[in-house]
Amino acid sequence: MTLWMHELRLLLRARLSVVALILMAILTAAAVTAGMVEISRQRTAIAAIPAAQSEDIAAVADYVDRTKDAGSAGYYSFHPTWDAPSPLAFAALGMRDVSPYILRVRALGLEAQIYDGDIFNPELALPGRFDFAFVLVFLAPLFVVALFHDLTSGEREAGRLRMLDALPRGGAKLLRRRMLLRIALLWAALAVPFLVAAVASGVGGAAIFAVLAVILAYLLFWTALAALVARLRWSSVANAATLAACWLVLVLVLPTLAHVAINRAVPIGQGAEIALAQREMVNRAWDIPRETTMRRFYAGHPEWADSAPLGSAFHYKWYFAFHQLGDESVATKVRAYRSGLERRDAAARMLGWVLPSVGVQALLTRLADTDVRAQLAYQDRVRAFHARLRNFYYGYLFRDRPFGRVDFGRAPIFAARMNTAGGSNEAADRP
Amino acid sequence: MSATHLIARDELRLMARNRVAVIALVLLVLLTLAAVLSSWSHQRGIAELRMRHQQVAAAAFKAQPDRHPHRMVHYGTFIYRPLGALAAFDPGVDAFTGNSMFLEGHRQNSANFGDVRQSSLLVRFGQLTPAFVLQVVAPLLLIFLGFGVLAGETERGTLRLLMLQGVSRGQLVRGKLAALGIVALIVGLPAMVGFVAVVAQPGTLALPMAAIGLGYALYLALWVVLILLASGFARRGRDALLALLAIWTVAVVLVPRIAPDIAGAAVPLQNRLQTDVAIARDLRQLGDSHNPDDPHLAAFKQSVLQRYGVTRVEDLPVNYKGLLAMEGERLTSGLFDRYAGASFAAQTAQNRLVDAIGVLSPTIAIRALSMAAADTDFAGHRRFLEQAETYRYALVQRLNRMEAKNVSYADDIAEDAGADRRKRIAADNWQHMPDFAFIAPSASALAAAALPGISILGLWLAVATLLLTRVTRLLGARQ
Amino acid sequence: MPDNNGNPIAIHELALAYGNHRVLDGLSLTVPASSITALLGGNGAGKSTTLSALLGFVRADAGQIAVCGIDPGTDADAARRRIAYLPENVALYEHLSAVENADYLLALADQRQDRGTITAALAAAGLQNRAWDQRLGGFSKGMRQKVAIAVALLREVPVLLLDEPTSGLDPRATADFNALLLKVRDRGTAVLMVTHDLLSAADVADRIAFLEQGRIVEDVTATGSERFDIRALHARFQVGVGTRAA
Repeated sequence: MTLWMHELRLLLRARLSVVALILMAILTAAAVTAGMVEISRQRTAIAAIPAAQSEDIAAVADYVDRTKDAGSAGYYSFHPTWDAPSPLAFAALGMRDVSPYILRVRALGLEAQIYDGDIFNPELALPGRFDFAFVLVFLAPLFVVALFHDLTSGEREAGRLRMLDALPRGGAKLLRRRMLLRIALLWAALAVPFLVAAVASGVGGAAIFAVLAVILAYLLFWTALAALVARLRWSSVANAATLAACWLVLVLVLPTLAHVAINRAVPIGQGAEIALAQREMVNRAWDIPRETTMRRFYAGHPEWADSAPLGSAFHYKWYFAFHQLGDESVATKVRAYRSGLERRDAAARMLGWVLPSVGVQALLTRLADTDVRAQLAYQDRVRAFHARLRNFYYGYLFRDRPFGRVDFGRAPIFAARMNTAGGSNEAADRP
Repeated sequence: MSATHLIARDELRLMARNRVAVIALVLLVLLTLAAVLSSWSHQRGIAELRMRHQQVAAAAFKAQPDRHPHRMVHYGTFIYRPLGALAAFDPGVDAFTGNSMFLEGHRQNSANFGDVRQSSLLVRFGQLTPAFVLQVVAPLLLIFLGFGVLAGETERGTLRLLMLQGVSRGQLVRGKLAALGIVALIVGLPAMVGFVAVVAQPGTLALPMAAIGLGYALYLALWVVLILLASGFARRGRDALLALLAIWTVAVVLVPRIAPDIAGAAVPLQNRLQTDVAIARDLRQLGDSHNPDDPHLAAFKQSVLQRYGVTRVEDLPVNYKGLLAMEGERLTSGLFDRYAGASFAAQTAQNRLVDAIGVLSPTIAIRALSMAAADTDFAGHRRFLEQAETYRYALVQRLNRMEAKNVSYADDIAEDAGADRRKRIAADNWQHMPDFAFIAPSASALAAAALPGISILGLWLAVATLLLTRVTRLLGARQ
Repeated sequence: MPDNNGNPIAIHELALAYGNHRVLDGLSLTVPASSITALLGGNGAGKSTTLSALLGFVRADAGQIAVCGIDPGTDADAARRRIAYLPENVALYEHLSAVENADYLLALADQRQDRGTITAALAAAGLQNRAWDQRLGGFSKGMRQKVAIAVALLREVPVLLLDEPTSGLDPRATADFNALLLKVRDRGTAVLMVTHDLLSAADVADRIAFLEQGRIVEDVTATGSERFDIRALHARFQVGVGTRAA
C-alpha cells in the first residue's frame, strides 16, 4: 500500500471528512441539476416562441391585409428576440433570472421598450440562485475549513505531532501529502458532477478546462489561507473560528461593502430618466409642425429624403420618424447610462483580482455568458435587430408600398447568437 | 448573589478577556452602524429621487398644452413606488423590482429600472442592510462566542467541579443562557437603536417596528438556545463549533437558496411573451376593434344607440369614439387584471411554498416577517402594482370620458386641415387630474403580516427550549 | 564531521540558546551501541531540547552532534532514518487498528513490513493477538506503548530515543516495558531515555547522566548487582523519585 493509500484510509476512517466529502458531492450534483433544469426551462420558453408568435402575427396580418398599410403592420407587429443560454449557463445562472432573455420589440421607439423586464418573482430572486457557482463560491470554502482546520493542530492536540515529525517521511512532507489529498478529493467532489453535467450540456473542452482550473485555484486559495492560519499554531477550535470568520468577511461582508462603495463611486443617472426624456421628445412631435419633424429626420437619414411629402391626413412615416428622433435625442443619455453600467461592472471585476469570491463569480458568469456584459451584449443585438426592423418597415412606408400578407414573412428575423432550439421564427415564414 | 448570576457574570468576564471575541463584537457593531448608515442614506437617496421624478412627471403631465384626450392617453404618465420609512432597515425586494412604471392606455407596462439590473454582479452577494447583519452575521458571531460555554466546561472537566460546588445543572445552563443572551442583546441593540433613529416618524409605525423588534429578539434568542443546545450536547468544543457552523450554513445560506428553486419549479410562471399573446388572443375573442363587423362591438353599439334612443352614432349626444375607447379600455383592463391576478396568485403560491420550507429554516421566517412588516416584500410590490393599475385605469377612463363629452364625434372623425385644432380640449383639464398617491398599508396591517413569521419563530424557540431542558438533565452524565 | 568513535550518539560541547535563554551549555554525551543511557534532570534542564537536537528539530549554536556520524542539524532526514522515537505520551490513530497503525507508521518511516512481521513484533512487544485488529480507541497507555515499541523494534534502527517512557504506567506495565527495552538494547541498539524518574532509570539504564542547566554534571555507570546507589544519587541531585512534575 502506498503512502497515498495509507492517507486515504486514514481520511476515510474519520466520519467528519467522509460526511463532508459526500455532502460536497451531493450539493454539487444538486446544484448542477437545478441549473440544468432552469436552463432547460429557459430553452423550452425560447422554443415556444415561434408557435405563440405565429398566432399573434397571423392575427395582425389578417387585419393589415385589408388595408395593406405598412404603418399598421409596423405598429402592431411585435418581433421576438431572445438570448439563448450558452451551454455553460447551467453552472452560473448569473443575471438570467432577473434580466429578460426574451423580449419582443416593435419598430417604434426602442428606448421605451428595451428596458422592459420579464415577469419574475422578486422574493425568489432575492437570495440568489442555487447553482454551481453558488456551491463553489459560498459553500466549498466551508468544506475546506471543515477538512483543513485541524490538519496540524489536530495532530498536535492528539499528541502525535512530534512523533510524526520525527519520522523520515513525516513532517512537512506528510502535511503536504495530506493537503494534496484533501484538495484532490474536494476538487473531485466538485469537478465530477460538474463534468458530467458539462459534457451532457455540450460545453466545449476549453470552457470545461477553464472551470476545472477555476475550481482548483479557488480551493488552493482557501487551503493556502488555512495553511497560513495553521502557522499561528492556535488550537483547532481557534483555527475553525478564524477560518469561518475569514469566510464571512471575504464572501459576505466585503462584497456587500464593495457593492455600496461601487454604486456610490459610479453614480448613474437612473435609467428612468431616459424613458422620461424620450417620451417627452416623442410627444412633443404632436405640437410642432410635422414638416419640422420630417426635415430633422431626413437630415439624419437622407436615404429616405426623397419620400413623397406629407399630406394633411395622418401618415405613419411621420409617426415612425418622430419615434426614431425620440430615440436619437436620448442617445447621449443612453451612452452615459450604459457606460455607467460598464464601469460598475468593471469595478466589480477589478475587485475580483483582490477578492477571490468575487473573482470566481465574475469568471464563471463570464465563461457562462450570463453576466452584465452578456446582458449588454444582448441589448446590442436587440438594437441591431431593431435597426433592421426599422429599415424593413421604412422600405414600405417611405416608398408607399403596400404591405400584404406575404410581406409579414419578409420581416427580418432575430439572429440568435447561438444555434439553439427555438432559433427559427416560423411565424415569419407564414404566407 | 445567586449561582445563576455568578455563572453569567463569570462567563461574561471570560468573554471580555478574550481579545478576539471583543474585537469581533466591536467589528460587528461597526458593521451594523455602517449598514444602518449606508442603508439609510441609500433609502433617503432613493426616496428623494423617486419623489423628484414623481413631481417632474406629474408637472409634465399637467403642463401639457391643449390636446386631444386620446393623445394624453398615450402621453401617459410615469409613477414611482415610494419606499416606506422602514425600508431603511430592510429594503427587501426593492432592488429586485422595478420601481418606475409608465402608465398609458391599452397597455400594462412592466415596472422597470430595478437596482439589480443597474448594478454590478456584487448585488447578488447580498446587500449590506441592518436586516442582513442581524439575519446572517449576528448568529455567526454568537456561535463563535458561545459554542464553548458548556462544551468547554465539559472538556476541561470544570463542569463536574462546578457541580461538586453545589451548582445545579439548571443554574449552570440558565447562567450561561443569561450571559449569551446579554451578548445577543449587545449584538442586536445597535441595529435596533439605529433603526429607531433613522425612521423619521416612529410614532405612526410603532406597531410594525415592534413586530420587527420582537421578530429579531425571537430570532437571536433562538440562536442563543440552539448554541447552548449544541454546546451542551457536544463532548468537545470543536464538535459543538463544527455542528453549529453546519446548522448555520444550512439554515442561513443553503435552505434560503434551495427553497426558491423548489418553489419556482413547483409553481411555474407564465412569461411576458406568452401572457401578451394570450391577452391578445382573448381580446380578439372579446371583440376585435379592427373588425367593423365584430359581433361584440356591434352589440355594444346597438346598446348605446338604444340607450340614447337614436339610430346613428352621429346623432348621439356624446362622442361615440370616446364611448368606444372606454369600452375597449374596460375590456383590455379586465384581461390585464385577470392575467396579472393569475401571475400574482402563482407568485404568492411560490412564496407560500418558500414560507412552508421556512419551517425548516428560521432565517426564512425572519426574512419573511421582516420584509412583510417593512412593506418591502412581494405583497408590498404587488400592492404598488395593483394601485398603479387602478390609477392607470381611472386616468385613462377619465380621459376617454373627456373625449366622449368634450370632443364632438364629427370633429373626432374629421381629417381636414383644421380638424386637429378642433379635436383638442383645454390644457386646464390635465391640471385637474388627480396625482398618483401610493396608499401605504396601515401600521396594524403591516404588523399583522409579520404574525406568521413571529409564530414560526416562537414555535422554534419553544421546541429548542424544551430540548435544552432535556440536554440540561444529561449534562455531565455522559463522559 | 564530529568524531563519534563508532558511538551511534555522539554529542560534544553542544550549546543552544532560545533568545537570551541558554538551554544547552556545553553538553557532551555519547551513547554506545548496545547500551541504555538515562538522561536525568529537572524541568528546564535541557532534556527535551537534547532530544530535539538529535531529531533535527532545533539546530545547535555551537558544538557537535551526530547520529551515526550524521549531523541532524544539516541532514535531519538521514538522521531520522536511523532513529526510532517514542514521545512521552504515545498517541496513535484511534480509528486505526494496532496493525494498521504499525503499518502506517512504518510506511512513514519508509521501512515497510508485511503483516506477518508486524504481528510477530506486536506479539514480541507483548500485545495479545486479539488486540491486533482492534481499533486503538479503547487501548490503555501501556498497550499503545507496546504498539509503538513494536514499530521501533521493526524499524531495526541503531538509535532509540525515549521521552519519559514510564510516566503514567503502572508497576507491572513498567516492568514489561523495561524487559522489552533490554531486548532492544541487546540487539545492538543505542538507547537514550530522557526522564526525571530516578527509580525507573536505575532499573534499566546502564548509565545515568545528570543534566543541570544544559550540561552533564555527573555521569554514573552501573556496577555490580546493586547497579546504582539510589539513595546517594537522590540525596545528591534532589530529582524526583517516582513523582510526576507537571
